[in-house]
Amino acid sequence: MRLTRRQFVAGGAAALGAAGIYELVDRFATAPERESTRLLPSEQHVLGRPQVIVDNGVEVVVPPLHHEVVTARLNVEPTAAALAKARAMLSETLQELDARYEPAPKGLSISLGWGLPYFTRYVPALAEEHLPVDIRASKAAGEQVRGLIDAIRFPSDPEDLILEDNDVAIFLRSDSMDFIADGSASLFDEAKGLFSITSIRRGFAGGGFDGSQSLPKQMAMAAGIGGAELIPDTAELFLGFTSTQKAGLGPPGIANFETLPGYTDQFPDGYFLGGTAMHLSHLFEDVEAWYLNFDFPERVATTFKPGLDVEEGTQTVPQDAEDADASKAVEQDAEQFDAVGHSSVMQPASRLQADVTGNDGIVYPKGTAVPQRADFNTLDNPFFWSARPDVDRQDDQPAAGLHFVVFTPTSDDFHRTRLAMDGVLPDGTSIPLHPRSRGQGFNSILQTTHRQNFLVPPRRNRSFPLSELL
Amino acid sequence: MNRAFPSALAALLALVLVSFAASGCGGEGSASAEPSQSTSTTASEPTCPPGLERGWQKLASQIDAAVYCPSWLPDPLVGRIGGQWEGVHSVTKENSYLVGFIWFERGAGEVHVNLRGYPGQTKVPTCNGKPCFSGERGTREVAGRTVDVYTVNRGADTWHVLYAWKDDGSLYSVSQHVVPELGLSYSQVVKYLDLIMAGLVKIEPQQS
Repeated sequence: MRLTRRQFVAGGAAALGAAGIYELVDRFATAPERESTRLLPSEQHVLGRPQVIVDNGVEVVVPPLHHEVVTARLNVEPTAAALAKARAMLSETLQELDARYEPAPKGLSISLGWGLPYFTRYVPALAEEHLPVDIRASKAAGEQVRGLIDAIRFPSDPEDLILEDNDVAIFLRSDSMDFIADGSASLFDEAKGLFSITSIRRGFAGGGFDGSQSLPKQMAMAAGIGGAELIPDTAELFLGFTSTQKAGLGPPGIANFETLPGYTDQFPDGYFLGGTAMHLSHLFEDVEAWYLNFDFPERVATTFKPGLDVEEGTQTVPQDAEDADASKAVEQDAEQFDAVGHSSVMQPASRLQADVTGNDGIVYPKGTAVPQRADFNTLDNPFFWSARPDVDRQDDQPAAGLHFVVFTPTSDDFHRTRLAMDGVLPDGTSIPLHPRSRGQGFNSILQTTHRQNFLVPPRRNRSFPLSELL
Repeated sequence: MNRAFPSALAALLALVLVSFAASGCGGEGSASAEPSQSTSTTASEPTCPPGLERGWQKLASQIDAAVYCPSWLPDPLVGRIGGQWEGVHSVTKENSYLVGFIWFERGAGEVHVNLRGYPGQTKVPTCNGKPCFSGERGTREVAGRTVDVYTVNRGADTWHVLYAWKDDGSLYSVSQHVVPELGLSYSQVVKYLDLIMAGLVKIEPQQS
């Protein structure tokens, strides 16, 4: 049966109000102690004051418990008047939410990312003029490349990968499910009618703050995920290792379009100064395969780097700047072990290869991570709700996976890192392993279903960017 | 990564098993004695059904060491050496043995159980320089035996959950293939392995 647009919206709005299995997150985990802050970063993608703990001698950022991404198409006519009205309505809602909640993790953080379909349909000429130019990618391509480009299919992606074309993605993060529910109810209020929701994606991270069972473990057990029993009790993510080492995440501001010299043309006065690029994808994780085919030393080698000496059962492995690998080291691993580590193989692209003084005046040492990852585990299959269940291959059975959200200085910067994950390094080196081989990081247990790139404007321009210039 | 049976071996077995299937699955059903659901030592002692005992006795005598007769295997398998479900039968010059039972139909189902014994040695053997059994998940008491549980295994036990135990200076193991797509998840396989363990009967070699 085909749904009418009205039913579409009603369906999505109704789904937003339903917690489903994620209601258990609140039952399984209490929010950790967080410091308060009322300071609202000028960037949409920067959180408030995430708690930092020390585990195994490593500083670890404790991520918000709850995550939700809602993608949508716009129900707005492409005229200056309609856009002005929509912009005012959305701005007002966002300002009300900013006033109601401090930033996440204690409060609520909302990041609006705008897809290329929005820019090309609503503000094509202004986009041509103001979208960031990716200087590195333009040099490499011999033609102008924008900081926001279409997502691509990577070598390890399956044939049936869906490259999406949403107008907007709204990313909500909080320790409180109620705050997220309130935020999305306000934004997607049917009466305002701005959006046709295309998908709702939900998930969780962390939770094992005091040595108790973590959220991924408990949620996987509750959902009956294959291999759930094999997930270590306090694992931050399904795959058993901590991934939010402070040194492994880009510091605040580094993923901005303008921070790293030579990345884009936005410094010092670009329209999107303070903005960033966002990649959103969903992938399934074969938890059972991970724990039945890779013993602990192999899981360490596969996740981090072959040959690492890590005590059995360790979950938090250092990812310090000085340990970051360059292409040569990755090549040597491939030659010696016939395998490369997931983290290690990406570092030639994801870490600074030399000390860099940013346009913000901060010196970022060699080995500093650039991407700001904000990924979270999910039981969505592939989404919590889809407006196109047949196209998205929506299934009600829970499935272990990851909604991968990452902020990078340009879309191409993400593509470079993701290509490195498949063995194609930025200096042209190609690792002689099949992109889905057992030795190519943990690609063999991942299956990506959807991808799209977005542009996250600075907070001042987050609502229908560029439309005020019409 | 293919979690199902290796394709080349699968194709070969499919040919063999289709011919078996054509003759029906009956004939040995009476040998598939249901064990007690309990895995405790207080359950009645299992016995090796007459239709199975001869083959296992012969193996024990051949290697001059005790072997374990599986009085119960998951349906449709029957642990008869030389029977229709025996897919692998190997004895090395060191007298270690591997007896595997498999039911396989492409796209329909697969049940695969391996039983091994390593007379005179208790150390986990190596496969291409690595332990054949790894991913140890602790020790359990199952049917009166102390078993080490391994989740990452190599060779014929790849993708299997494996129980290993020591007895009288020898190492023994039983493992079953995890095939979640076919309802054989890790937890289901563990349940089956508990039942298999409860149904094992030790067969001593006969003096010649």
